[in-house]
Amino acid sequence: MIFEERQLEKNNFSSRAILLFGIVILSFLAILIQVFSLQISGYTDYQLASLNNKNYAVPVQSLRGEIFDRNGVPLVRNEPTFDLITNPSLISNIDVFLEDIQPVIFLSEADESTYRKLYADKAFVNKELVLKKDLSDIEIARFNVRSFSFKHAFIAKRYRRISDHPEIFSHVLGYTSITEDDFNKMPNIPRSHWKDVELTYANGLIKGRTGLEDTYNDHLNGQHGSKIYEMNARGQFIKELSYTNPEKGSDLYTHLDIDAQRSAAEYIGNRKGAVVAIDLKSSGINVLYSSPSYSINKISNGMDEKEFQDLINNPEKPFFNRALQGRYPPASTIKPAIGMYGLSKGIIDWEYEIKDPGFFTLPETGRVYRGWLKGGHGKVNMRKAMLVSSNTYFFSLAYQSDITELSEHLYSLGFGQKVCFDCFDEDKAFVPTPEWKYSLMNAGWVKGDTVNLGVGQGYLIATPMQLANYASILATKGGIIEPSVVSSVKNEKSTKLWKTEGFSDSDWKKMHDALLGVIESDYGTARSIRNLKDFQVAGKSGTAELVSLDSKEAYLEVRTSELLRDHSIIIAFGPMPNPRYAISVVIENGESGGAVAGPVAIEVLKSLINE
Amino acid sequence: MSKYFQKIYFDPYLFFSIFLLSILGLFFLFSASNSDASMVSKQLVFIVAGFIMMILISQPDPDIFRRMSLLFLLLSIMLLGITYLFGPEINGAQRWVRVGSFSFQSSELLKLAVPLFLANFLYGKKLPIQRKEIFFSLVIIFCCFFLVYRQPDLGTALIVALSGLFVLFLSGLSWSFIGGSFMVLVISSPFIWNILLAPFQRQRIATFFNPEADPFGASWNIIQSKVAIGSGGFFGKGFGEGSQTQLNFLPETETDFIFSVIGEEFGFLGVLLLLSIYLFILLRCFYLALTARDRFCRLVIGGLSLTFAANLIINLCMVVGLLPVVGMPLPFISKGGSSLISLFLAFGIIISMGTHKKFLPQ
Repeated sequence: MIFEERQLEKNNFSSRAILLFGIVILSFLAILIQVFSLQISGYTDYQLASLNNKNYAVPVQSLRGEIFDRNGVPLVRNEPTFDLITNPSLISNIDVFLEDIQPVIFLSEADESTYRKLYADKAFVNKELVLKKDLSDIEIARFNVRSFSFKHAFIAKRYRRISDHPEIFSHVLGYTSITEDDFNKMPNIPRSHWKDVELTYANGLIKGRTGLEDTYNDHLNGQHGSKIYEMNARGQFIKELSYTNPEKGSDLYTHLDIDAQRSAAEYIGNRKGAVVAIDLKSSGINVLYSSPSYSINKISNGMDEKEFQDLINNPEKPFFNRALQGRYPPASTIKPAIGMYGLSKGIIDWEYEIKDPGFFTLPETGRVYRGWLKGGHGKVNMRKAMLVSSNTYFFSLAYQSDITELSEHLYSLGFGQKVCFDCFDEDKAFVPTPEWKYSLMNAGWVKGDTVNLGVGQGYLIATPMQLANYASILATKGGIIEPSVVSSVKNEKSTKLWKTEGFSDSDWKKMHDALLGVIESDYGTARSIRNLKDFQVAGKSGTAELVSLDSKEAYLEVRTSELLRDHSIIIAFGPMPNPRYAISVVIENGESGGAVAGPVAIEVLKSLINE
Repeated sequence: MSKYFQKIYFDPYLFFSIFLLSILGLFFLFSASNSDASMVSKQLVFIVAGFIMMILISQPDPDIFRRMSLLFLLLSIMLLGITYLFGPEINGAQRWVRVGSFSFQSSELLKLAVPLFLANFLYGKKLPIQRKEIFFSLVIIFCCFFLVYRQPDLGTALIVALSGLFVLFLSGLSWSFIGGSFMVLVISSPFIWNILLAPFQRQRIATFFNPEADPFGASWNIIQSKVAIGSGGFFGKGFGEGSQTQLNFLPETETDFIFSVIGEEFGFLGVLLLLSIYLFILLRCFYLALTARDRFCRLVIGGLSLTFAANLIINLCMVVGLLPVVGMPLPFISKGGSSLISLFLAFGIIISMGTHKKFLPQ
């Protein structure tokens, strides 16, 4: 009986124990399946998650390419500068450290307080901290002698963007400044990591803002590298895991010529104006100067706010690039273009003569358009009209022109469009058409408007760049292609040829002869500059009127105010008879074109030709 | 020599598998503690002491445990009372009692005392067990549960309750009663949720069901644990090479989450090895329970080994994300002297009960 009961109990126990241990084994199975799904099926995801936890990538800034002139002389360089960097996590006592380093490095109060502010944070995460930027030679020497006592500080090389000719090349080269959008270029590095970027430039992450620095920013910039740190859960850097070198940006070789640019700056002096010179062989821009100028070195390396505001508010507008954006009436320098139009359309020929009484009367209204010489030039044909700059001749020619055709002709010579391949922010300026006038002024085009165009006054405006391009077309008899500043980057450059149809070779010859006479003959309006050089130059000068006046007497009153004085303009090319360079010079409020802009043009041509 | 050895009650299977587990545990702990040698040597001291205690306690005849069970229970409860009155408060909980230079988690003893006492109480009872006996057992279980729960230590309290319930179930609790209690539990679950659970416990359960709600706060632990285990892959990252562990992304690596360390550094292979050892221990206990000499021994071996299994499974399920987070160490591996000592004592008792055979009853 007892035995039976015991057997019953035992069986009861066994079945219950089997049930419970069965549950235990099922639980083990469930756990194993879950571990399998984590470690085998989900491995890739969790592997990535664990790497994302610990791997902290920071970018390493690349070095920008340098910019060279046409002889290989650097225009913009990366100049080493030395910063004192510390490892705050290894510095046990900040007060003692700062006290010890005071005799070695000069620390301003601002330096010190910035350092103290950032010290604790950087120490916690084992990151580096700059104590002082741009050490002097004496500081470097003193530190190097005592470096054994500052184990947690070191001198690091950083760069500054420096030009040896900061004032004269400012507009064409442009400047760099701090950027915050570099993170776009490295999508594999989270944006928040950019605060820990390893700098190569003392100034921080930089980007071209104007000039070549902007146009060729991608080319110059290179490729940032990256460094991967191992980071723990508290955000402390443990060690460096990998390093990808940054790639230095490509250098930029330009057509710019230091000597010629310097001549331009020197001879314009402190007047406002611009010079553009083009090498006809390479269609490269040798000179691109705008006055007044400013120092790109200061702007690129951190200019203080007040100095910057002063530059912006300066009434002479130094930031304004007159060579590319200055809008000037081409004045008499347009006459060769008008002549070309008349000749190619058969309206006139070289022998066609008119009598120049010193003014032109518009038949429709009787309005009088005056020439610059009272009493006129007598009988003038095309050549003489060019030499003495007869307004009457060109008023009369323009009067016979069709405005739509004439606008197209001017457009084909580069007016009203961007002519430079790689200039920064070039202005298209403007060629007027009847449609434009109607839509803007709600008034129809009248004959008088065309007449004004004949002498480059009225609505037509051009930039010095366009005038230089136009001079190049004249010099090469239409053979010049789109000019550019940079010579080393050829990839996308179009070979845009300017149209000069209907102009025969003998026409060109006569045109060159006439333009040569403007400077080299006894009657030429720009003959005052012929003795400044020992080679022959062709060209055409102009005086752009800012106020429309009926008489010389009236102008004498106006010129007492400098800002209302005429602009002085010249286009020229030489040495003749086989021109190599073409140039345009504009001097604001300089008055008489030949005598004022002329010498500047000659000096720049001299330094280009005599090289 | 062999004659002398015959007098020692000893189970080589349990002994060597526990030995293997403890040695592996020391390696795991070394890696999990970021190479803290002093922590590992302290653990080693407890393991050595534990083995000695286990061997010693397996020598006397099981009858002594039966006779001492009431005294043991009262002693454990008294110790709990002392903890409640004098124990230092650590992290908002009173769980420790100081004995000399050692601190001891007094609730650990209840895991042994409750099953021993209930086995003693129930082993002579006729089947099926009467109502008043069930009632008495449940009162004991609930009292002990409540004492530990008040510390507060929900994890251990649950284990204490389970240890008692296992014995009750194995001794022949009727199915209709089990069914009825289950109904009551389901009905009273809102009450448990609102009254019995502290806000942080409620949050843990909520987190379990929706881990993406707060990845940097409440769900951090479980997410990082899964990442650690998952990134270990098949072969693991290698000893001391687990980035989740070594760079502190994983919390509580030496205690509750040490299994994640093993998963990360030794991979699926390591997990398989570890689980095999545990399973082997449990199957050996199962065998000992079935072959034990009498009902008391069966109940005690069954109760203690299932308690051990519950402890293990809850920890593993929590760490791999199958259960909400509840504080529960991984047996024989997690840091902690009290837990180790109570485990060795439990296995000492199991060995004693499994190896002492009686001849057929007189």
